[in-house]
Amino acid sequence: MDRSEATVTTLGEMSSTRRRWPLAALAVSAGTFLASCASNAPQDYFDPAGPNAEKIDTLQRPVFYIAGVVALIVIGAVGYIVFKFKDRGQDIPEQSHGNPKLEIALTILPAIILAGIAVPTVVTVFDLNKQDDTECIINVTGQQWWWEYDYATGECGGVEISQPIVTSGELVIPADTPVLLRVTSRDVIHSYWIPRLNGKRDAVPGRLHTLRMQADEPGIYTGQCTEFCGLSHARMRQAAVALNQADFQTWVDNQLEPYTAPEAGTLAATGEQTFIANCSKCHQVNGIANADGTPVLSDPDLYVVSGVAPNITNLMTRTAIAGWTFDLINEECRDALWTASPDEFGAMYLAGVTPDCFDEAALRDWLRNPPGMKPMYVDPNNLDSTGGKYRGMPMLNLNENQIDELVAYLLERK
Amino acid sequence: MAIIERPSAVPATVGAGGTTELVTPSRALGAYRRPVSTTGWKSWLFTVDHKKLGIMYGAVSLFFFLVGGIEALLIRLQLAAPDNTVLSAGLYNEMFTMHATTMVFLFVMPMAAAFANYFLPLQIGARDVAFPRINAVGFWLFLFGGIFLNTSWFLGGAADGGWFMYSPNSSALFSPSHGIDFWVMGLQITGIASLVGAINLIVTVLNMRAPGMKLMNMPVFTWMVLVVQFLLLFAMPVITVALFLLSFQRNFGATFFDVNQGADPLLWQHLFWIFGHPEVYIIILPAFGIISEVLPTFARKPLFGYKFVVFSGAAIGFVGWGVWAHHMFASGLGPVSVAVFSVATMLIAIPTGVKIVNWTLTLWGGKLWFSTAMLFSIGVIVLFTIGGVSGVTHAVAPSDTQQTDTYHIVAHFHYVIVGGAVMGLFAGFYFWWPKMFGQMLSERLGKWNFWLMFFGVNLTFGPMHILGMQGQPRRMVVWPEKLTGDGFFDLAFWNQVASVGSFVIAAGVLLFVINIFYTAKKKVAAPLDPWDARTLEWITSSPPKEHNFDRIPTVHSLDEFFHRKYEEVDTENGPKLVKVKTAEEVLAEEEANADHHIHLPSPSYWPIVLALGFPIIAYGVIFNLLLTIVGTALVLLAIFGWCLEPSVADDSDYDPPAGGDSTKELATLG
Repeated sequence: MDRSEATVTTLGEMSSTRRRWPLAALAVSAGTFLASCASNAPQDYFDPAGPNAEKIDTLQRPVFYIAGVVALIVIGAVGYIVFKFKDRGQDIPEQSHGNPKLEIALTILPAIILAGIAVPTVVTVFDLNKQDDTECIINVTGQQWWWEYDYATGECGGVEISQPIVTSGELVIPADTPVLLRVTSRDVIHSYWIPRLNGKRDAVPGRLHTLRMQADEPGIYTGQCTEFCGLSHARMRQAAVALNQADFQTWVDNQLEPYTAPEAGTLAATGEQTFIANCSKCHQVNGIANADGTPVLSDPDLYVVSGVAPNITNLMTRTAIAGWTFDLINEECRDALWTASPDEFGAMYLAGVTPDCFDEAALRDWLRNPPGMKPMYVDPNNLDSTGGKYRGMPMLNLNENQIDELVAYLLERK
Repeated sequence: MAIIERPSAVPATVGAGGTTELVTPSRALGAYRRPVSTTGWKSWLFTVDHKKLGIMYGAVSLFFFLVGGIEALLIRLQLAAPDNTVLSAGLYNEMFTMHATTMVFLFVMPMAAAFANYFLPLQIGARDVAFPRINAVGFWLFLFGGIFLNTSWFLGGAADGGWFMYSPNSSALFSPSHGIDFWVMGLQITGIASLVGAINLIVTVLNMRAPGMKLMNMPVFTWMVLVVQFLLLFAMPVITVALFLLSFQRNFGATFFDVNQGADPLLWQHLFWIFGHPEVYIIILPAFGIISEVLPTFARKPLFGYKFVVFSGAAIGFVGWGVWAHHMFASGLGPVSVAVFSVATMLIAIPTGVKIVNWTLTLWGGKLWFSTAMLFSIGVIVLFTIGGVSGVTHAVAPSDTQQTDTYHIVAHFHYVIVGGAVMGLFAGFYFWWPKMFGQMLSERLGKWNFWLMFFGVNLTFGPMHILGMQGQPRRMVVWPEKLTGDGFFDLAFWNQVASVGSFVIAAGVLLFVINIFYTAKKKVAAPLDPWDARTLEWITSSPPKEHNFDRIPTVHSLDEFFHRKYEEVDTENGPKLVKVKTAEEVLAEEEANADHHIHLPSPSYWPIVLALGFPIIAYGVIFNLLLTIVGTALVLLAIFGWCLEPSVADDSDYDPPAGGDSTKELATLG
């Protein structure tokens, strides 16, 4: 007994310095943690850019703080006890089996904290499932390994969409407008996630799920498929692009503009024929016609397991290809676009892939050997399990001239 | 199985009722005899001794731990740089699938089974488990299932659907290699091992406790193992059904998960996670049990709130069944289900928190001895707490829709599984090694082992919290430079730190392996009671004799062994604990009063033969159905052999005793 009292006195003398260290440790840990994060990470979900992500953020921040404090308290307590009760030759302690009152108290305390977390959690769950404020509906469909967007006709955030728009990779939405995505899949399960705008929602074949999507300001918000979906799961990416209402109107008008064939005699005109011969079995360009005037219609369901391939009518209005993985624009232009202020963003985005920004390397590589850039199931000798259909884009054995022609043709698709 | 006494030269004197009616089986022929070897490889192949089986479980699990670890290192190598090319996309998918499968099913679960097998009978004062041959078949099924699963690497590629194997990505259309077939059949085989093991240990605990060993006198490790066996008993059938559905879909054209036939892929998710969440507790509770033994021993005081710890363990066992859909918050269940499972998940934090608090308070006021086992146990408290509180953040469903399938989740469950379960198992290694092998693992190497693993875990999995929160999804063969953000501490930096950390963990594990060989080579006998321990397994010799106890101990209290050594003596400063007996004296007392007739089950040829039939059936399902007939025939033969073999070996099967001793009993008296 004497000895333990002596220990307490010694500790008492030292306590003035020691009392401050838990607080200091807390501050240092919290500071270190915050300073340890990357700045401007494009998919930081603690950096919300729309009301849905904002609601989640408001809910989760206190939870993370409480969790951090609880962890620090426990670790601090363990550290203190380990130091204080180290074997310094003291007697074997009393063989006490516990203290029921203390234990009941220590059971109720976390229960109260958790109840405090549970109530706002449930409220937010229902909040984020509301659908009655929707001003625009967009169908989002996942397939190996890219996202297709299908804009239904009707009003979208004050803009009239007179004909369906089918696009991929970049989800263009009106800013500051509650959009509802209807998410599904054509093959395996995928998951649609734009971290700065909302949490993720699985795209499950045979099921239709909804996901609220809203951005406060014009800008580009990146995301990735987050349900493991096979070989090229890592190369199934996407972005949401928010435009103000006028810019969104421009974008819609551009998407619905009738097809303009390349000027006769140009490289692009040869490219059109090359496209029809090699690409149009799967890829649709709206309005494209054969020499005799009959429309060229794609039949991807004959060749691809998911039954679709990206519609590339306006390919050059998007900044990346192949599951939004490989950039069509150079790094400089990409950085400028990604960091553009909300006021400048719309004009920059609507300019599309300009000659100054166009980085043809990725597109050329892709046309030359798609599975070499992005692993897919397209080996023609090994398609037994799919009955001869591809999962992804096969190698077309194009020669360099054909690639030149196609690039020239595709550059005009904007 | 019933234990029937062999006739013996020593007259039976046990029991007032008298066991004079001895069953002497008629002479059996050929293979229908029982093996009798007590040394050499045969003694291991045909053993039914829970201790030998425990050691084999441990050795094989450790091997698979190294395999799973190498897979993890390859994954971290691939992720050390943007758009890296160490592994191809297909190989990477196989790698993370098999890393998880190996670590969960071939390391943590069977390593816990190793400790349970070895120590549960010792802790309750039993001579073996209730069904020794079934115990043996469990081990062989685990071994053959594990080998079978890993032969997929050499037969066309391993499973590539992730350990959760979501449908329809797991169908033959989307995963045409045989990898998933191997995975399905391999898990079926190891699943039988878990299921029969569970039944065996439950019966053992309920029926074979020593006199006075009331349920609430049982050591916490035994309690936690018991809870785990009930979880296994109810969880394994669910995954078995799911796996059958999947294998019928892949191999025989069934359409359980075929959307075109009207199936809902969420069926698989529900089945998998109804198994998968209790599985989480199957993984962690044995480690909780181990550190609940280690902490009191090295704090020199009883576990704080024994009853609270036991009941919270049982509560986790119950509530663990009502939280599975928290793995599916983004699956599109609808707000009502999500809200319910969200709250239920928070509920389970309470009993888990109770345990942390009780361990911490066990240390309070103690006389702490920082042995390696103790360091690992304190490490578990710290690391599991971090994994626990990040778990609470996932319970907040809207937040989880951001976190799920990102590295934040990877960080969380690795803190729980590596920081909790694996570190707990390492505490068990250092604590029980002298009991199992009669030799002390080097404490000096052990401490290096601990600190490397402790820092390695934080270095590897700590940064993953940041990676996840800043938007890096998991199961990605590459991460692109353009999504890493700016600043020195960008995501590329943290990916590199995590990769370095994984090699620090590997160095720690390597030291453990070195320690094993170093200890084995040194051959220094351990003291009988090196830790001044508290529970029944320490009341016998190290390693224990084949029959465990010369006299079945009579139990008077929790921490029976401690109370045999220590008594409270009144001094002028009040009562004080004084050591009144050494462990050697306690053991001598037991030996002096040895039971006169000890019966043990005989070894058997049939468990290993029976188990061998299953991988043959599995290969048959994958490659040629004719093989399944061969495998089934072997299983049937083994079942007949099992039923027809005599209950004990015939006297004439034994070699003539060397010393002219007329006693040919397998288990001679101590």
